[in-house]
Amino acid sequence: MATDLRISNISKIYPGCVANDNVSLQFKSGKIYALLGENGAGKSTLVKILSGVISPDNGEVFLNERNLKLSSPLDAKKNKIGMVFQHFNLFETLSVFENLSIDATEDNKSLRVRINEILKKYNFSIDLDVPVLNLSAGQKQKVEIIRCLLRSPKVLIMDEPTSVLTEQETEELFISLKKFCDEGILIIYITHKLKEVLSLCDEVAVMRKGKVVSVSQTQNEKVETLANKMVGQKLAKIKKKINISKNKDEIFKVKHLNFYSDDPFETNLVNLNFSVKKGECLGIAGISGNGQNELFQILSGEIITPDTSIIFRNKEIAKLNPKQRREYLMAFSPEDRISQAAVPELKIYENVALNNFKSSNFFEKGLVNERKIKEHSKKILSDFSVNTDNVELKSQFLSGGNLQKLILGRELITAPELLICYNPTWGLDVGAINYIHETLIKINDQEKSTILISTDTEELLKLSDRIAVIYKGKLSKIMPSEEVTPEKLGVLMGGGSID
Amino acid sequence: MVPLIKVEKRNDVPMALYFFTPFIAIILTILGGGIIFYILGFNPIEALKFYFITPISNLYGLSELLLKATPLCLIAIGLSFCFKSNNWNIGAEGQLTFGAIVGGGVALLFYNQEGFYILPLVIFAGAIGGMIFALIPAILKTYFNTNEILVSLMLVYVSKLLLDYLVVGPWSNPEGFNFPETRQFSDSSRMPLLFEGLRIHAGIFLALAAVMLSWFILYKTYLGFQIKVSGLSLKTAKYAGFKGKTMILVVFMISGACAGLAGVGEITGPIGQLHRMISPDYGFTAIIVAFLGRLNPFGIIFASLVVALTYLGAETAQIFLQIPKYTGQVFQGMILFFLLASDYLLFFKVKILNLKKNELRH
Repeated sequence: MATDLRISNISKIYPGCVANDNVSLQFKSGKIYALLGENGAGKSTLVKILSGVISPDNGEVFLNERNLKLSSPLDAKKNKIGMVFQHFNLFETLSVFENLSIDATEDNKSLRVRINEILKKYNFSIDLDVPVLNLSAGQKQKVEIIRCLLRSPKVLIMDEPTSVLTEQETEELFISLKKFCDEGILIIYITHKLKEVLSLCDEVAVMRKGKVVSVSQTQNEKVETLANKMVGQKLAKIKKKINISKNKDEIFKVKHLNFYSDDPFETNLVNLNFSVKKGECLGIAGISGNGQNELFQILSGEIITPDTSIIFRNKEIAKLNPKQRREYLMAFSPEDRISQAAVPELKIYENVALNNFKSSNFFEKGLVNERKIKEHSKKILSDFSVNTDNVELKSQFLSGGNLQKLILGRELITAPELLICYNPTWGLDVGAINYIHETLIKINDQEKSTILISTDTEELLKLSDRIAVIYKGKLSKIMPSEEVTPEKLGVLMGGGSID
Repeated sequence: MVPLIKVEKRNDVPMALYFFTPFIAIILTILGGGIIFYILGFNPIEALKFYFITPISNLYGLSELLLKATPLCLIAIGLSFCFKSNNWNIGAEGQLTFGAIVGGGVALLFYNQEGFYILPLVIFAGAIGGMIFALIPAILKTYFNTNEILVSLMLVYVSKLLLDYLVVGPWSNPEGFNFPETRQFSDSSRMPLLFEGLRIHAGIFLALAAVMLSWFILYKTYLGFQIKVSGLSLKTAKYAGFKGKTMILVVFMISGACAGLAGVGEITGPIGQLHRMISPDYGFTAIIVAFLGRLNPFGIIFASLVVALTYLGAETAQIFLQIPKYTGQVFQGMILFFLLASDYLLFFKVKILNLKKNELRH
């Protein structure tokens, strides 16, 4: 029986952000649909609405012209909508069979028969009696898929399924998905990888800033056209004037940066080489999860990689920890401002003391110099216009924007020669974003350098002097930003190549 | 209809309540104890009086209370350094035993000598012994990624068996008719008594000094700041560039030294020699003390007195009610249970949902 899924005028508004803005889409079984978009485009919100995790403020979902009430994940299951999330929901210490039997309705014997039928039909080779922790990421994903198949789904939603898979596993997945599709299961495939859309899907809907901006047949699309739609013609409003002459000194130079991890949720970095000049902003673009986290931690010294050379102001610093790197006048603003850059349960002045550089005298002879830390914190609060002057306030009571100002202030008060920041304006309102952008531009005007790792292309085009793109742990060539267009960035971010 | 329990995190937990729940736990423990006594066929009021009032109704009882609270307080203070920084040292009992072995060894060297320098030497040796024993799980954790809970716990049995071997074998009293015990220490190896006729000894000053010192370290030094940050967010500690490995070693050393001091305090105080039963599991019970005291130095003083009372109460109850003194452990268990339960309810909301049966299976 054919399946017809229709989404009608779905809207979901979060404070300060429209996640889904009047989204209408139609899907029919027999095809594989791609839902494409950057981080924060609204894909995940839409999928969560379809799987009943969150309820929309407005709009309806129809399955075969029947209006669905999806107020919990149970409702989605009842209506035969299956979902495979990017992160697996499996009990690692239980066996594959035990995991599958947890929410099954039948007895173990007939369940085992049915599972074996599925294994045979789709050529999956998984031992049902080994603990899940012994499986590879691809096999775990197959267990999740089997779980969906056991309920004979009409709709199967895959959320960025290839992010943890190897090339080989990706190919296997695509073969299975095509089989499911031939059997009449409607497949919605969520991704930001352009090549996958072109090789797997029949139709593609592109989302940007909560809206559906285009729906088209993939045969009419190319990597470039999709990239263009995904990133959009975002023209930077106050693009900073580029002030790098070619002869400036290189202040920071990275050679042979390699990182290998056993954790499938971490990205391996492959031979990164780049340098930053005095007064320059080097932008590193990319969709999140392509190695930015790992890169930031290596640059800040939280992860020490062997054989990497990092030269900063003519000194080798690759073996130094973050505190020691700060002494050489580096500063770091990580992406996770709530639980990494600051501790919410600590007071403002205690969070300021986290950047305990030598000349600060925050801790003299091992003792806390509370007076000094508080004085210093007061100065940061006023210099960086944080909307409180109470240094005793716990930082969990600061808004995102004010917390970010506090963190930047703490990092910049040492007048560092190089600031490395990762998504500094993530989740902030326009006012705070502007303030932080102005601050970052000011740093470059004072002949200090910045490395800006960001998933926001608009921000990168506005602030960077040169831009490189990171994709699957590899860095593209570094381009002067006047040569970079949003389309070019989009192509590179989606794994395409430009000449 | 099938009830389904849903647990949600509470958003704003008042901190005042956080320091109040230990009292709720104590009250619930007393009520729970009353119910148990009732089921056993005793008058609950009467039995609770024997348990909690009689033991401290005279000077001797008060001295016994302080005597038992001293090692509990010392160990718990040390443990608070570990627990605050997310290091789970469960082996204080082993560190206490090893400290007692090393300190006791030094005391036995001087068994026939007198001198003012002997006691400080013995105490120092005890602290070093505990420290070294605590360094084993710490080093294994930092350099070989082992789990400190398992290693420190298993080492408890190692040190107990070592003590067993020593008091039966090489260190047993040559004039002791093969009893499993060493010689009596000389008077110069004994803690001075504070009052004639009472067992309370100078070790209590060690405990009080530990309280003051730990308050100073935790709240006034860079080390304390690092412990606090690491306990709240290891990610932040890493980002700030704290020397994580050094800190693990230091907190284990502090914790081991405190347990070692407690051990040496027992053998140079009320016991006066080494034998098999130098501690009624003070090292394990101190874990309860540390949490009941909210890992706060002054909270720990209070908690150690409460828990010490359960030891005394159990002894009184054994004498007057003829029930085994292991009821002490029942009370200690109840304190921990009620504390954890009230903490859970403090931080989480429990909702009971009613679902139709067919909604569950789909």
